[in-house]
Amino acid sequence: MISAPSTPRLTLRLGRFCYLALNAAVVVFLLAPIVIVFVFALNPTPYIQFPPVGVSLRWFEKFFASRDFMNALWLSLEVAAMTTIAATLFGASAALALARGGLPGSRVITAIMLSPLMLPAILTGLALFQSYVLLDVGRPLWGLVLGHTLVSIPYVVRTTLAVLQNFDTRLEEAACNLGAGPLRTYFEVTLPLTKPGVMAGAVFAFIVSFDQFPVSLFLVSPGRETLPITLFNYLKFDLDGTIGAASVVSILLAVLVVFGLDRTVGLRSYAKL
Amino acid sequence: MNAARAGITPIAWLIAPSALLFALFFFLPMGLMAMISLLTGNPVVQPNVEFTTKYYRRILDDIYYFEVIWTTLRIGLLTTLAALLIGYPLAHLMARVRGRTAYAMLMMAVLTPMLTGIVVRTFAWMALLSDKGAINQGLIGLGLISKPLPLMYNEFSIVLGLTHIYVPYMVLTLVGVIGRIDERLEHAAQNLGASPLRAFLEVTLPLSLPGILAGSLLVFALAISAYVTPILMGGFQIMTLPMLIYQQISSSFNVGFAAALGMVLLTISLVLVIAYNRILGLVSGQRDLQ
Amino acid sequence: MTTRLPLNRRQFLATSAAAGIGAIAAPHIARAEAATLRITGWGGKWGQTMSSELIPAFEKEFKCKVETDSAFPYLPKLQASPRSAPVYDVLHTNSNEQWAALEMGIVEAKIDARQVPNIADVYPYAVSDKMVGVCIFTSAIGLGMRTDKGYGKISSWKDLWDRAHDGGRGGYVIPVNSLGQAFLMMSGALFGKGMTDLDAAYAAMEKLKPIKLVDFTGTMEKMILSGEVGLAVIHDSGILRYDGQNQPTTFVAPSEGVLSLEQVLTLTPGTKVRELANAYVNYMLRPNVQKTLAESVWYSPANSKVKLDDKYNEKLLTTPEKVAKLIQPDWKWYNARKDEIDSRVNRIFRA
Repeated sequence: MISAPSTPRLTLRLGRFCYLALNAAVVVFLLAPIVIVFVFALNPTPYIQFPPVGVSLRWFEKFFASRDFMNALWLSLEVAAMTTIAATLFGASAALALARGGLPGSRVITAIMLSPLMLPAILTGLALFQSYVLLDVGRPLWGLVLGHTLVSIPYVVRTTLAVLQNFDTRLEEAACNLGAGPLRTYFEVTLPLTKPGVMAGAVFAFIVSFDQFPVSLFLVSPGRETLPITLFNYLKFDLDGTIGAASVVSILLAVLVVFGLDRTVGLRSYAKL
Repeated sequence: MNAARAGITPIAWLIAPSALLFALFFFLPMGLMAMISLLTGNPVVQPNVEFTTKYYRRILDDIYYFEVIWTTLRIGLLTTLAALLIGYPLAHLMARVRGRTAYAMLMMAVLTPMLTGIVVRTFAWMALLSDKGAINQGLIGLGLISKPLPLMYNEFSIVLGLTHIYVPYMVLTLVGVIGRIDERLEHAAQNLGASPLRAFLEVTLPLSLPGILAGSLLVFALAISAYVTPILMGGFQIMTLPMLIYQQISSSFNVGFAAALGMVLLTISLVLVIAYNRILGLVSGQRDLQ
Repeated sequence: MTTRLPLNRRQFLATSAAAGIGAIAAPHIARAEAATLRITGWGGKWGQTMSSELIPAFEKEFKCKVETDSAFPYLPKLQASPRSAPVYDVLHTNSNEQWAALEMGIVEAKIDARQVPNIADVYPYAVSDKMVGVCIFTSAIGLGMRTDKGYGKISSWKDLWDRAHDGGRGGYVIPVNSLGQAFLMMSGALFGKGMTDLDAAYAAMEKLKPIKLVDFTGTMEKMILSGEVGLAVIHDSGILRYDGQNQPTTFVAPSEGVLSLEQVLTLTPGTKVRELANAYVNYMLRPNVQKTLAESVWYSPANSKVKLDDKYNEKLLTTPEKVAKLIQPDWKWYNARKDEIDSRVNRIFRA
């Protein structure tokens, strides 16, 4: 039975307009600071000033000429790459075990796996630093990667679990019915369909590691600092556009990464399953 | 029925590497911190330490610390609400949009802020909100105000900065969930006479509830642990728990007290995770979407 | 035959083990020539001058490698490392932190004058009883001002409390910044019975609001330059270092006196490269090194034998008379009360 008259065309048009306008506002909100950063990176004055007085590449020159920044950028990329691989391996396998392994108390274990998100990362960093001191290993690179991996694993677990739990298990059952053994089912049905969730987690892991600050604070050693630490320290002494230049470079890297992912995996795929 | 449902399968062993990693490098260090919160000193470097509850007593005795905890929670709640209100429309659009390019562009808009870096983004907000920043100078230039608005160094700027950083997390969590809601359900509702708004409110929104809760929990957990943004945006006049912890470590050198505060924060968070799990179980009646 | 073999084998194993260890150890022994000195240091202009000129020269002269940690804060890291294997050999930080470090037992109270001969030439304040280790540079904490705001004559600390400055007053987060802490003590002297009159100081802080707070002087420098702040507590170096850039800023040494912000070096008790550490302290007190740094960041050198160029000499504290006017806060007293002071000021300044 038809219960109510359908909405008049104008209201529909208005509604759609509001919807799009709202989204446009959100995008502006997300991107406004980025635009500011670009403006900063190009404004020659060495402090916050509006309106900008001109266009200059001096901060980019300073950024690229600075050995500290270049080393930091390179180190951040290295650490982020290693962390992504480690977090993905650990996290995806854990998620698989939690979703399909029939472990007792899997809810508690999941909560535990997610707990590095909850604790202030500065405590995690300090605790790890203390542990390294105990083990007498100093502040090695693997220690830093380990710290990053710990705080990145929750993301991979989350996204992979989300995929696995909303999985249409009838697909696996169909494979079984067609005669595939459990192992083959996992490799040829479950894993390929889980891939988008894992990739989403990997993207998060990369971003979290690249942008990680409090854990790195205690675990970096002199001369081998990650970019956020170098930037934060730089902010203490110099509030100039070099920070803007650094971020513009990061953004361009980000765009590359996103494009790359879209071409290879297809970002679309982990939206609809 | 899926054979895995019957009991522990060999796949369960895959948990081993993570379990080992967590045991060695998360629980042991955390256990160390928990211990430190109950000792007079750091057992790793000091010879004579004794058991004490003075740090916890200090928290309980002074109402100031409850205020700090409440401020932290309040900022977390406001940020989560803001992130939800801002992030949901965008997630909805991204889940429903047709073109691949449009989707990629929206994804770019979402991911780019995340990759800019927390320090730089906060700095950008400083450039926007401070007295000499873009907004105030723009408004003064247009003659709309004569004195700069106090947009920075208060709770507003902290929530704004945190929301900006965490909206992408909310969006990315929601996109997946909304995307999985079959559009035909909405169409069916509209065919039965509901307006698009009603279809949304009575079909889509309830079905996306697990995603809303998942995203909210994530943003809340991150917001109450945040410290770079509150420091840079709040000018230290707003004190959150992570800031206090950092202050205790870096300038009061009081690791024991910092550890105690950290344990308080961890406990709050764990309580929230458990509560969330319960609520989700009640609300959706399906497996939890952690 | 059979009896000889085990012996031979054992000997053989022992010899090859020794040779193996020797082969592995040899590069370490050789590398031990190039010892590593781990120090801390600020970033910004100081860091640039050090890393481009002074550290390489030191490394060359003493055939070593120097690792500088510029990721502040330093003390928690030193605190967390074992006494026998400290994470730094020489700690460079301000007086308040050095006193706190001394309380924790992680730095040594005095520098050995026999190992650091240049210490004989420093001004009395650099090795006074208010000092841990040795002060290598100091700055005067006073008021920094923008000259384009029409403020008129500023000559006293009390001018900061003038309501006319409500929109442009700048100060520090007291729990984390030594200028803020020194300023708090000064307020006790200005409005109360002396630098230990905390009640008067707290009352003065209440009246100081509204005020913009930062945690580091570098940030304050930028706030003054951009005009965000018009009158602030700052050390002379923070204003003077922009000399020649035509900035509308000036430093005012208030009539009630300036406080000293000291750059202090100490050794850690567990350092394995004591000789090198002492050599570094001595190097930093050398007149030519002092002159280079003083002129690059506008710090006042502690070595009385340093001759700066005229324009620096004018503004910095380079004579016994000028340095005698520096007020050195009692950090030991302050640190003992830091927790309660921090609790109190956190409450005063919350928004």
